[in-house]
Amino acid sequence: MSWSKLSRRSQVFYYLSKNSLLVAFQSRKVTEGFGYVTPTTGIWLRCRYSSWSVTQWPQFSPRAYHPVARSCTQLEFRHHYASVALKEKKSRKMLIYLTALVFGMVGCSYAAVPLYRRFCQATGYGGTVQRRESVEEKISRHSRDGTVMTREIVVQFNADVADGMPWKFIPTQREVRVKPGESALAFYTAENQSSSPITGVSTYNVTPMKAAVYFNKIQCFCFEEQRLLPGEQVDMPVFFYIDPEFATDPRMDGINNLILSYTFFKVRDE
Amino acid sequence: MSAGGAFGGTRGARPVPPEKGVFPLDHMHECDLEKEDYLNCLKSSSHKSEKCRRFSRKYLECRMEKNLMAKQDMSELGFAKVYMEVSEEKTANI
Repeated sequence: MSWSKLSRRSQVFYYLSKNSLLVAFQSRKVTEGFGYVTPTTGIWLRCRYSSWSVTQWPQFSPRAYHPVARSCTQLEFRHHYASVALKEKKSRKMLIYLTALVFGMVGCSYAAVPLYRRFCQATGYGGTVQRRESVEEKISRHSRDGTVMTREIVVQFNADVADGMPWKFIPTQREVRVKPGESALAFYTAENQSSSPITGVSTYNVTPMKAAVYFNKIQCFCFEEQRLLPGEQVDMPVFFYIDPEFATDPRMDGINNLILSYTFFKVRDE
Repeated sequence: MSAGGAFGGTRGARPVPPEKGVFPLDHMHECDLEKEDYLNCLKSSSHKSEKCRRFSRKYLECRMEKNLMAKQDMSELGFAKVYMEVSEEKTANI
């Protein structure tokens, strides 16, 4: 097909080029056609191609040289834009979902704290203190049951003083042999060796750790400030009770020694 | 080093305050005699607590009298008659 023919009549012809499909429908000096261009994005763009007749320049071969001007019209852009807009909408939706998810997770981690607390209290998992009976209730229950224990446990005592505290703090007895289910009394002696009144507070712990659950203190001198005048010596009693359930727990089979350790810290001196 | 357990293991364990609270200190040494009796009993009975239960009971009663301890029935603290009789038998047998 030669261009000269086209320039005289209107024809519809398909001109396949490398990457476009050219449809010409007008017969004019200037041949116009619509090409469907597929750029690398894969979107069909409908652009108008204008090429003018080469009869004016017969020296040029029609196939060799076709000056082509391209202008893609509004309609084509709108169609293209619509698909882009759709994609944008989808991405925006995705963004909103993801942001909501992030906030949801942050909120969950904040809510986890009270939820865990409730769960632990309900199930007692991980050694959380549940609502359990007091020592007196335990004692009365066991005395009613008439449980007699044969296993003897040695409770040893240890006393410590924080650095820089001029108190002499020792257990009055080295150890006490007690049976589970028996309430027992023990003493510590503290002496203020300085020349000014000193207030101290003590804390305790029981080793081995897993036996500490069964060691109930009915009354003692810990967690409260105790004031000693200079040179004063005082005896501090501890009244404790080992739960009879200690004897039935298989984890406590090898444990016959408990160590009760107290440490005194200075609060202030005047 | 943690001994296992959930939700913090041993780190979560903290000292439990005493059930009946804190003993007020005996600054005036009012119950010293009873205390000495108890300690001597312990020494002589090779630190067996059950043999000296009546001394510890006496000490606690002294404290209650001198307002150093909240008054309470002895049986609630584990000094029920049954136990006392058992321990007195044992002391008699020494």
